[in-house]
Amino acid sequence: MCGIAGRIAGPDGQVGADLVELMQAQRHRGSDSTGFGIYGPPRQRGYVVRMVGGDRSVVESSVERFAVASRAGGADLIEDPTWDDLNQPHVSVRAVVDDPARPFADWLSAVDHLPGLEIQSVGRSLEIIKDLGNAYSVAEAHGVRELAGTHGLANARMATESLVSPTASHPFWARPFPDVAIVHNGQLTNYYLLKERLIRAGYDFKTENDSELIAVWVADQMAQGMTLEGALELSKSALDGVFTYILATADQLVFAKDRWAIKPLAVVEESDGGLALATEEQALRRLFVDEVEVLNYDGPRQSRLWPVAGVAVPA
Amino acid sequence: MSDRFEIEAADRPLRQVNSDIRAAVADGHKVVVRRPLSRHNLGVGLPAGADVVFDGSVGYYCGGLNDGATIGITRNAGWGIGEAMATGHITVDGYCGMSLGASMRGGLVHVRGDSGPRCGVAMKGGDIVVEGTVGYLTGFMSHAGRIVSLGGADDACGDSLWGGEVWVAGPIASLGVDAEVVEPRQDEVTGITELLARVGVDGSFDWKKIVSAQRLWHFESRDATAWLMI
Repeated sequence: MCGIAGRIAGPDGQVGADLVELMQAQRHRGSDSTGFGIYGPPRQRGYVVRMVGGDRSVVESSVERFAVASRAGGADLIEDPTWDDLNQPHVSVRAVVDDPARPFADWLSAVDHLPGLEIQSVGRSLEIIKDLGNAYSVAEAHGVRELAGTHGLANARMATESLVSPTASHPFWARPFPDVAIVHNGQLTNYYLLKERLIRAGYDFKTENDSELIAVWVADQMAQGMTLEGALELSKSALDGVFTYILATADQLVFAKDRWAIKPLAVVEESDGGLALATEEQALRRLFVDEVEVLNYDGPRQSRLWPVAGVAVPA
Repeated sequence: MSDRFEIEAADRPLRQVNSDIRAAVADGHKVVVRRPLSRHNLGVGLPAGADVVFDGSVGYYCGGLNDGATIGITRNAGWGIGEAMATGHITVDGYCGMSLGASMRGGLVHVRGDSGPRCGVAMKGGDIVVEGTVGYLTGFMSHAGRIVSLGGADDACGDSLWGGEVWVAGPIASLGVDAEVVEPRQDEVTGITELLARVGVDGSFDWKKIVSAQRLWHFESRDATAWLMI
């Protein structure tokens, strides 16, 4: 049991603050860790890189090693990296790199295997922030409420399949596809088979978490020419187990659900283009305290795609 | 509802809200709960004679363990409404989520809108009336009682029924494992007509009565494919 949420912001752009409320209302579904994937205003140039370092005492040398590796991969840092000053052994690092002069995959392989530093997300707009604790404590620690943007997704995790750690929690970035991320409520039973195939095809996985597979699997289907709608449809039969997952790209928010209809999803569509999704309706009512039309996607094999209006995605 | 004793739910502690409802009922009041905000576990375990209306949408398990109360919900309800109720009468004016009436033993749940999947899952008695459609796997593993749908049924209707009945007026997307449609007797139809009259529904319907084909009552491993229709 986990709780998930998604948000397309209205004109106020309060993605972070709204997702924090949606997740705190679902903390009873699992608060060993909470994570947020926020899509800020898309950059025309360069990528935001979010990382977690395992050992705070060596963070400066880790970040320096990242900068050297990034330059070797063809991309200079265009902002000074920053990191949190929390009192815990691990450390969350944010860097912004230029468009790599070499192919993106080459740059990524140059920076993606550094000791002591694990990349959580890369995107023109996507930033994944995840840590141990409930929504309010993660929001307090990492300033999530202040993050504005166009859309986002979030997860409150009750670990069933792998380690409790910031890196094994959700959202998962669809490595190596910039700006693609998922959150998942459920358990997959055939993930290791599909993961094995994707590893043989050259993909890289960082955790033993079943949910990481969904992100890469969907993005791989699209890389092979399938539409996002087609990949969602195929996922309902290709992925085995119980699941409701929400996936976001730079300009779309989607969900898909298994054939067993076990994991709930409730949705409010606002008249100004805003959208809110959550596992439980009572979480949505944190944002909509007056009576509101709520769509309950309770049936099997359901999916939906919502475009995020007004996002100009750079090539 | 102006003559009712008003209790606000909103963001107050749930235990306090339910205690207030019980205290008001014990004082002989009819109760209306304002701003339920889709919260879970409202009005669980209410006693006989209680009359409580939730003015809005409720979350999971509202009216669970009902011991004879009359409960109204003026909008939608979440999962497991009336779970394990012994007796009483629950009315949902809007949509009712998954597993309504799960394991109920008696009483009546009446839904004016549609219902989600697994309506009446594992029920042991009592009646469910859904004026709209019933969802996927309606009646799953139900042992006794009647589930009545006026608007049709989604896939796998009556899946793994044990001894209960599902009555459907309207289209059935597909039958579940070991479910079969049988011709109802006239006295059974009269019983359904009387049940509908209790919730203010009249008219004549073209019923399909679904019961267990009883092949799974005596399961043998060589019949495993009968289970594997999923």
